[in-house]
Amino acid sequence: MKLHDTIDVLIGGYLSKDAAEEDYNAVLECGAHLQGAVIVSKDLEGNLSVEQTDHMVKEGAEGLGAVGFAVGLFAPPLLAATAVGAAIGAGAGALLHHEVSDKLGEQAGETIPIGGAGLIVAYSHPEAEKVEPAVTRAVKKAIGEAEGNHVKALKGAIADAQQKLAAGNA
Amino acid sequence: MSQPDRSKLPIRQQPFGGVANRTLEGSQPDWAELGHVEPPDGAPNVLLVLIDDAGFGNAGTFGGPIDTPNYTRIAQEGVRYNRFHVTALCSPTRAALLTGRNSHAVGFGSVGEFSTGFAGYTAFVPDDCVPFPRILRDNGYSTAAFGKWHLTPDGQQGPSGPFDRWPVGWGFEYFYGFLGGGASQWDPCLAENQKIIGTPPEFYDEENPYYLPDAMADKTIEWLHAIRGQDAKKPFFAYFATGCSHAPHHVSEEWAAKYKSKFDQGWDRLREETFARQKALGVIPADAELTPRDDAFPAWDDVPEKLKAYYARQMEVYAGFSENADHNVGRVIDAIDELGELENTLVLWIWGDNGASMEGTITGSFNELTMQNGIPLSDEMQLQLAERYGGIEAWGNQMMDPHYSAAWAWAGNTPFQWGKQVGSHLGGTRNPLVVHWPERITDTGALRTHFTHAIDVGPTILDIAGIPMPTHIDGIEQQPMHGVTFADSLTDANAPERHTQQYFETIGNRSMYKDGWWLSMKTARIPWVLTPDALKPYAPGVWDPDSDPTELYYLPDDFTQARDLAAEHPEKVKELKELFWQEAEKYNVLPLMATLAAFFGMVPPLPETATYEFRGDVENVLSGMIPRIYNHSYTITAELVIPAGGAEGVIVAEADHLGGFSLFVDGGKLTHTYSMMGVFVFRQQAEEPLPEGEVTVRMQFAADAPKPATGGEVTLYVNDRPVGKGRMDHTVPIRFSGYAGMDIGRDNGGVVDLGYASRKPFAFTGTIKKVTFEVNPHASDAQEHELHAAAQHGHTAHALSA
Repeated sequence: MKLHDTIDVLIGGYLSKDAAEEDYNAVLECGAHLQGAVIVSKDLEGNLSVEQTDHMVKEGAEGLGAVGFAVGLFAPPLLAATAVGAAIGAGAGALLHHEVSDKLGEQAGETIPIGGAGLIVAYSHPEAEKVEPAVTRAVKKAIGEAEGNHVKALKGAIADAQQKLAAGNA
Repeated sequence: MSQPDRSKLPIRQQPFGGVANRTLEGSQPDWAELGHVEPPDGAPNVLLVLIDDAGFGNAGTFGGPIDTPNYTRIAQEGVRYNRFHVTALCSPTRAALLTGRNSHAVGFGSVGEFSTGFAGYTAFVPDDCVPFPRILRDNGYSTAAFGKWHLTPDGQQGPSGPFDRWPVGWGFEYFYGFLGGGASQWDPCLAENQKIIGTPPEFYDEENPYYLPDAMADKTIEWLHAIRGQDAKKPFFAYFATGCSHAPHHVSEEWAAKYKSKFDQGWDRLREETFARQKALGVIPADAELTPRDDAFPAWDDVPEKLKAYYARQMEVYAGFSENADHNVGRVIDAIDELGELENTLVLWIWGDNGASMEGTITGSFNELTMQNGIPLSDEMQLQLAERYGGIEAWGNQMMDPHYSAAWAWAGNTPFQWGKQVGSHLGGTRNPLVVHWPERITDTGALRTHFTHAIDVGPTILDIAGIPMPTHIDGIEQQPMHGVTFADSLTDANAPERHTQQYFETIGNRSMYKDGWWLSMKTARIPWVLTPDALKPYAPGVWDPDSDPTELYYLPDDFTQARDLAAEHPEKVKELKELFWQEAEKYNVLPLMATLAAFFGMVPPLPETATYEFRGDVENVLSGMIPRIYNHSYTITAELVIPAGGAEGVIVAEADHLGGFSLFVDGGKLTHTYSMMGVFVFRQQAEEPLPEGEVTVRMQFAADAPKPATGGEVTLYVNDRPVGKGRMDHTVPIRFSGYAGMDIGRDNGGVVDLGYASRKPFAFTGTIKKVTFEVNPHASDAQEHELHAAAQHGHTAHALSA
């Protein structure tokens, strides 16, 4: 592994585990070399589950673990663009655009909504053209990018992706 | 025997005709005193069937893709009417149908949940417009209604009534069904006569679960058998109004599976196929033209390939649901036949009350209430939520409350334009009618082309029964019915067409029909869009109805409204416009847009009640009558007695996992689950178990801000000590459910928290002395009024989709 990489991190948010798994499998089969991929989901009874690729264990576990990649930093604000109540009426226009606050930094166990799921994929930047088209079902998606040594690049890319999610420009 | 004077109801009992001396010596009884009013000789039984939210091109009997063997059988033995009209909205059509009068004239310019302070929109039928079931009853008929009602105002659907706005007040001696606009077919919150009886116990039988369409037929047949067991001759009037095909589209897989892959061709091709069959059947003229797709609907070819299975499944379920309705109506007809009475039973079967419903928006939904709560979800999001609750193969089962795409509804309204809520075009105003009466109809299988309308049904039934329209009922002089009989057309294809003029109006979409000419005046708003931008053009002082685009059709030459003649006949446009205004004034249609008055600031006074108390045995509070906790801070406090060893179960629960809340005890811990329409689910649990003995628990929601769907913080208390907390980022702004009720001490029907689904209804094992809701006002009157207005807007939006 090179001392300095450009690492991309893709974070996707889903309303169902099925959809996240579909993208997860598509990413695994897209032919790209992955630094790692993690799928986090919570069932309707609130039980959290985490799956990750062999790549992570074989190649990146130590580094990824060091940055808390698997769980701790994951918080896609699902439906951030949702304007709940937008159809409520002309007379209350100022009330209609419901802002969803982002709560980045909380634990995935708290931020993955019941019934929801998230996908995190880390890969070297040159693999982007294979990875990104494989992720087709995320209702919220952001891609971060950072350079540096392996761990530093991962941290930077995750932070970048989360910042984009928070900014609502994902 | 002399006929009684039927002009005034109730019919007065004849004076005692015997002799009553001081003793029996010389006294003579008058046995007629023991009798009851009898209808005129030969008055037939009547079965009136109304299918919900279906279009002209749905049933196979009229060329649609849905197999309707019973409808077809009845049509082949009777006559089909291909120019029968409705009002383009649920309650108005039902009010028109059962009163024989224009819907606005009887207070039903809009739906039953939404009353506003204009005469045409009160949802209260005036005492001088008594519905015809009452007339039949008072003339000696046995009367009963089954299924959907949708004519009782939202706030009057409880044990304190008043009941003159329930089916019994409209003249039905027996009722089994639901009072609202829609219901789950699996776990409806039912009413029987004058009581909300809630979810049927059979719901809990997993091997043989309850299904409302089956139960409706069962109850109807039971009722027929019962009245015949008592009286072999008394004619009956049965009103069988299915919840099908209104959302939620619920049917078992065996019915949906019949249509597997039958809609993979999409809605554009489906319209073409239906149109071809309609011509082959002769239910539309040979020269009819198929109207084109409006840009409001996407082309099927533009639907992403990965989503086509999702969309196709929506229609498969709708079709199976509809075929099941046909099956159950067929069971009722077979039961009448088995009694040997089908020959002299007049069957009127209307397939749809307002065209097919486009309220599913373009995406369709796993939960119809997401639209009514203004939650914008893309089709991909809808699909993922469907996956969350079992996948598209579960579309139709108990886990979802689905509605299909507006584009499927448009296809169901083939060959016409638009659909439900669009009173300006035939897609929302023309539905199939079949009439069956073997004793009189001889040219079986024939087609009738008479212009007929829902308001004609009552006068026709009275005419056939030989019962005059009474001048007075309960001493109140009655307004004449606006409809006219078409009885002679049953037996004579050349009978004169009496209904020559008719206005239509639904939410500003309006039309004027006269002598074959039809003037359409549709607002530019897409029917399922109620956003501020979409409504701004209709604000007071902004909207000039006369500036709306007009379309003119001559229906004798143009069955489908395909050729707009407005430019060629400006004088006819002017004439019909003026006639519409005259009719609108005459029948209380004015002010236009009264249905949406709440959106423009005309809201009823603020409710004064902020505290609601329920004792431990209250169940089945209908969803429109629960405490108005939406968009506010509130508390739920419960006074409990926890026995030795602890307790578990539900303290209070509203609705189900697709929208609702539950405060319950599980594993000894106080727990609160809140489902934001099944999109978000929030759960908070105490960190310690409840103590034994007398305990007061409280769930406190502190709203972030006075705004719709506000998030906020939840704190759980036991004996005023905080024991748990959590956050809810979103709350339900308008309404949890269209049909599910609130219960104290249990969670009837589908449950809110699926974690206790296997223990449903998860009845509380301790004692609940009292549950109190306190809804906290916001900081300022201005905020409160603003929210009140927003709530009314939402209420209106919900009502329009009901």
